[in-house]
Amino acid sequence: MQITLIIGEDEKQVEVDEGKTVKNLLQMMEIPVETVVVKKNQSIIIEEELIEDGDIIEVIKVIYGG
Amino acid sequence: MEKCHKCGNTNTIVRRKQSGQILCQECFVESIQEKVLKDIRRQKLIEKGDKVLVALSGGKDSVMVLHILNNLRNRRIIDLVAVTIDEGISGYREEGVRIAAQNAETLGIEHRIVSFKEYVGRSLDEIMSDSNDRNACTYCGVFRRWILNKVAKEEGATKIATGHNLDDETQSILMNYLEGNIHNLTRIGIRSESKYEGFTVKIKPLREIPEKEIATYVLACGLPVHLAGCPYAGDSFRAKVGVFLKEISKEHPTIMYSTLRGFDKIKPVLKEKFSQKGSMGVCQECDEPAAGKICKACSFRLSWNQ
Ligand SMILES: [Zn+2]
Ligand SMILES: [Zn+2]
Repeated sequence: MQITLIIGEDEKQVEVDEGKTVKNLLQMMEIPVETVVVKKNQSIIIEEELIEDGDIIEVIKVIYGG
Repeated sequence: MEKCHKCGNTNTIVRRKQSGQILCQECFVESIQEKVLKDIRRQKLIEKGDKVLVALSGGKDSVMVLHILNNLRNRRIIDLVAVTIDEGISGYREEGVRIAAQNAETLGIEHRIVSFKEYVGRSLDEIMSDSNDRNACTYCGVFRRWILNKVAKEEGATKIATGHNLDDETQSILMNYLEGNIHNLTRIGIRSESKYEGFTVKIKPLREIPEKEIATYVLACGLPVHLAGCPYAGDSFRAKVGVFLKEISKEHPTIMYSTLRGFDKIKPVLKEKFSQKGSMGVCQECDEPAAGKICKACSFRLSWNQ
């Protein structure tokens, strides 16, 4: 399935396997969960949430320097 | 789909690692506000009639402090003034200053922007272009404290509120402990206890709030915040300790709380044994408090004139 992934200014289409969570996606991209807040379809969500086809996932880096 | 533990709403936004509690947006925002206001009351950080100066960088922490303290201002318990220090970091600071001004304006809070250039004579960029011996954070910290204290007096402020959060505070504790800097440890706390009257009391209303919860709060409330890293931050010892604490918190989610609690317990003993009593005087150059004849800020400034 395909989702839209927004990180900062960067927006792209990404293929994701069924049954993956937002946390899995962050781990795949090597983004530390504890440094970001994630929105799914414009609402903040818990990282354990499942990703569904067509989702817009926005990763907001909120913690810098540790 | 998991439900909010307070109201049953299925649009949940946080799972608190320290307690396992799951909350929806409304319940999370409300519970954080209550927690901070309760800490302020319980720790007696603020008294009725205080004029509180908020050190407002425009980052998430200080913006949250401003918005929460505004509750007390609306209830006419305190008076507020927001002060933004423009250190003079080209390409980085302008955005933060703009966002700080935007927040103060929305709330109708008096806002002052004061610069390193105007108060100490040089911007941080100018200081750094002329220096290779110290890292920027040393200068920045010394001058920011000095300016805040001066401006607090100019404004007649009785308290200075900063945005230090749980992560910052546990970093400071661990850093100073690892470095054997016991004297600095005695000065860490939710409020400064400087008996010397030249210091305005500093308070940290967010000291028990994890950094990520602060970020979640400001985003959930839709507050404008400057989310960017300082170009001078670099690979400091503090940053390394911060990474270590966040890493270990994954498997030990209460570790920052226990570090803080444990420290607060031993602090009275540390203070009794290690705090340097009666050594504070007045700087000959600027009349601000100083450990020797000249304060740190003035000793830096004087070295430029040589
Ligand atoms: Zn709820
Ligand atoms: Zn001085």
